This record gives sequence, C-alpha cells and structure tokens, in this order.
Amino acid sequence: MAANQNWRLIDVDALDPELQYPAELLSPPFDPVPLSTVQQLSQQCRGLLQRGENAEALRIALQNVPYGADDAGKDLHCTTIVEILGSIKQSEMSTTLNTIYSSSEAGSELLDTLMKYLYKGMAKKDAPQVGSGGASGGMSVLLSWHEKVVEIAGLGSIVRVMTDRRTV
Amino acid sequence: MANPEVNLLFHQPIADHSFSADRNVLAVTRDNSVELYERQGHGFVLKDELKGHDKVVTSVDIAPKSGKIVTCSQDRNALVWEPSPTGWRPTLVLLRINRAATFVRWSPSEAKFAVGSGARVISVCYFEEENDWWVSKHLKKPIRSTILSLDWHPNSVLLAAGSADAHARVFSAFIKGVDQKPEPSPWGERLPFNTVCGEFLNNSGGWVHDVAFSPSGNALAFTAHDSSVTIVYPSGPDQPPQAIMSVSTHQLPFTTLTWITEEEIVAAGHDCEPFRFRGSIDQGWSSVGALDSSKSRSSSIARESSARDLFKQMDLKGKTVHSATADDIQLKTIHQNTITAIRPYAGDAAQGGVKQISSSGVDGRIVIFPIGGARPTFTH
Repeated sequence: MAANQNWRLIDVDALDPELQYPAELLSPPFDPVPLSTVQQLSQQCRGLLQRGENAEALRIALQNVPYGADDAGKDLHCTTIVEILGSIKQSEMSTTLNTIYSSSEAGSELLDTLMKYLYKGMAKKDAPQVGSGGASGGMSVLLSWHEKVVEIAGLGSIVRVMTDRRTV
Repeated sequence: MANPEVNLLFHQPIADHSFSADRNVLAVTRDNSVELYERQGHGFVLKDELKGHDKVVTSVDIAPKSGKIVTCSQDRNALVWEPSPTGWRPTLVLLRINRAATFVRWSPSEAKFAVGSGARVISVCYFEEENDWWVSKHLKKPIRSTILSLDWHPNSVLLAAGSADAHARVFSAFIKGVDQKPEPSPWGERLPFNTVCGEFLNNSGGWVHDVAFSPSGNALAFTAHDSSVTIVYPSGPDQPPQAIMSVSTHQLPFTTLTWITEEEIVAAGHDCEPFRFRGSIDQGWSSVGALDSSKSRSSSIARESSARDLFKQMDLKGKTVHSATADDIQLKTIHQNTITAIRPYAGDAAQGGVKQISSSGVDGRIVIFPIGGARPTFTH
C-alpha cells in the first residue's frame, strides 16, 4: 500500500465476503411507472391549474408520486410540481398547505413529499423557470415554500427528506 | 409538579448512564473510563473510576440485583466489574467481534447480557462456571449493519435490536442451561437461539436509534432517524403483526425512548428535551407534547430572531446587541445538547407506571424529570 494513500478512504467492507447489501435494503422496490402515466398526470394537473384549482392540482400531484418511474419520469413530475408551486400566490401558500395538512390522516406525509420536491427543485442546476424572475425567481419561490412547510410540518420534515429511501 | 433535578457533572458528553437499584450510585461514561458517583444530599460526588478500556466507553449498565456493572467500548471489549475488598475488579468478556461494541444491557434475570456492535452481530454473553469465564454466542442473521440499541423482554429470552439498516428486530437469545423455557407469548412459542421473531421497518426507513419492549413485553416501540416513533403489536409466530403504528413528529430525531406505562412512552433526542406519546392498539398513538414544561413553549417559535427584531429590542428596551445575543447562547431546554439516554428512575412501568425518569446528555448533565399526570386521559 502506498504510504501516501488516505487510509480513511479505504473501503474495508469491500474485503468482507460476508457483507452483502441487498438492493431492496438501499432502495425499496416499486412497480415501474411508464413515462406516459407521468405525462398524463402532468396534463391533468395543468388542466386543474387552468381552471384555477391550484390547491387541488398540488394535492393530486403529491398523492401520485411516481417512485417507480425512471429519471425522465421523475424529472417531469418534479417540473410539474414546481410549476404548480409557482402558480400559487405567496399569500395563499399557508392556507393551501394547511388544507393539505389537515385534509386527511396522510396530510403530514404529503408535506414530507412536498419537501422532497422542494429540495430536488433547488438541487437542479438549471433552476426551473417559474414566476417572472427567471432562474433566481424560481429559487426564491421554492425557498418561501420551504419556510411555510417547516412552519407547519416542523424540522422533522427536513430530516425525513434525508432519511427516506423513497427518492423522488 | 416537582421541578426536574439537574446535575451538571462535567463538560463532556455522556454516552450512557445507569443508576444502582437503590439510586445511590450513578455510573456515567466519560471518555475511556466509567465514573461512579454517590448521592450526597442534592448532588452527586465522584467516588470511583473504572479504568480498563483503552477507547471510548459506549455503554454501561448496572445489574439491579447483583450490583455487577457491565461496560463496553470502542476497543471491542466488554468488561464485567464486581466489587471486591480491593475495589472494583474487571473481568474481560470474549466478544469475538472485529468492530466497536456499541451497546450493552443485562437481561432481567441478570444471568446474561447482550452486546451490540458494528460487526453486525449481537454477542449474547453468559457465565460458564466450569471454565470460570464469560463466553458469548453470536446472533448474526439477518443483521446487515451496526446494532445501535438493545432491549430485553421481561422473560429474559427475547431480545429486541435496533440497527443502522433501518430494521428493528426481535430475536430469541435462549441459552440452554442458563434459561428456563419461556411462557408462550405473541412473539412465538418455540424459541431456539437466533429465531427471528419479528423484523420491522417503518415507511420512510431511517436507521433505528432505540428499541424498547412494553412493560408486558407484548408490544415493541422503536424510534428512527426520520423523527418517528413506531409501535408494533405482534399477533403470533409467522404472522404479520396486528398493528404497526408510526407517529411522525415535527421534532428532530429521537435517540432514546422508554415506556412509562403500557400506554405511554417518553422519547428524547436531538431536540434536547423529552417528549411524551400516548396511545393504545385501539386508540392509535399520538404525540402529546414536551415533558420539560418549565420553559415557555411560545419562545421556541420566536427562537430565530430576525435582524429587525434585534433592532426593535434595542430601540424599545434598550437592550444592547451583546445582551441580546447572550440570550441566544442558552437553549430554552434543560439539557443544552442532545439527550443520549433516558431510563426509568422511580416507579415501575409494569406496576402503576414510572414516576420519574433520568436522562443523560452530550452536555454532561444528568437530569431527573418527574412524570406528572402519567395516567392516560382518554376513556376506555
């Protein structure tokens, strides 16, 4: 072994023949979701947006998360959600979130899902084009949503984004 | 309600603590040693130091009846300490592990103890009279990652383990010649060593920080890094459980939990204060708020003071920037850092409920919290 090798970076577990991480341990199995389903959902949400039912569009998008989709499908769903978020006025954010949160037993889980998309949206290099401010405007929209979600769902929702293996 | 008793022992993290049965001796981990404190009046005085490990001590447990102390450490060893005329005498236990030992607990019968480790095994240790030493048997399958916590069933045969692979598991740690055949329970009837009686995972699947059997042993609670507390009610061997109830909370993750009664749990962790959960299999479980009621709850909302607030304070109250920041240095909670372990202090969870719990934290404090109004309020 070279003297200058950083021994902290050696993967000692690779030398252990007994160690095996089954794939489902790291990412739980989901039925594959074809891209067309995600596209349909995206169109359904756009339709709701045109009729002004923004909150309903958000709820439907959060309830039908394509965990089993490929990267293209997941990216499309993320774009859909970011579009919906951009179409809801700042003054209506809290009411929208409260309605979703208290609408059902799973309300808190929907906000956890929303949080995942907020982080995914912020992580994108080509920041989504929403609102009038272009790229930076999109980011500030996501940040204000982030603030509102934490107000309602607490810091726990951020921790759950980091631990949850059902990635979006 | 009485106030919590706060003891600042030193300015170093306490990974684990344990009280003797009469609550006069307190063992706390400190770096590579374990310090024994004795109660004197309202405080604790350092009496003895157990030095034997050469790396950080990760866990300590005092057996309530025999008074023996077991410790385990990152040096991959466990030591059993027995009092002798010349002081505490350590006995090395052969764990046969190649990673740090993370957690140790005596079984209620005190004939065995279990050590969790980073080697993906649990060493179940018992004393062999013929050879005059402690030997261990390994619980191995199907553990995929480090064991972070253990808890014994009241029958001293079943052992629950929380692991970094996001699973909470229930094993049989039956040792022939040491254990009596256990009474049948919802976890199973025939229980040879290493029977897996249950394997549980919650939806978001964070790594499991702590596990605990209910006082009756007929339910299991675990807390994971997704800030949740999950309660499992088993139905029988080889059958899916009757119910798995998961409470996702607004708080930061909990690292430790303990049952107060069959229908109440206290959990604590990165939010530096204990929180209470109530429920049953029929009612479902929910969070009922913080235990640490001495502080004003409203303050937590205003914790993040904006620059505007700061200037307002200076303008209206004449507060200087300096004094305004001095308020921010202290957390509003009693513990000033993560709580690492909570344990029952007074009262019995199986009979009438725990009346007080003790907690240890990264801030070097040992706090004894009273559990006021521990009776569940809902009707049956």
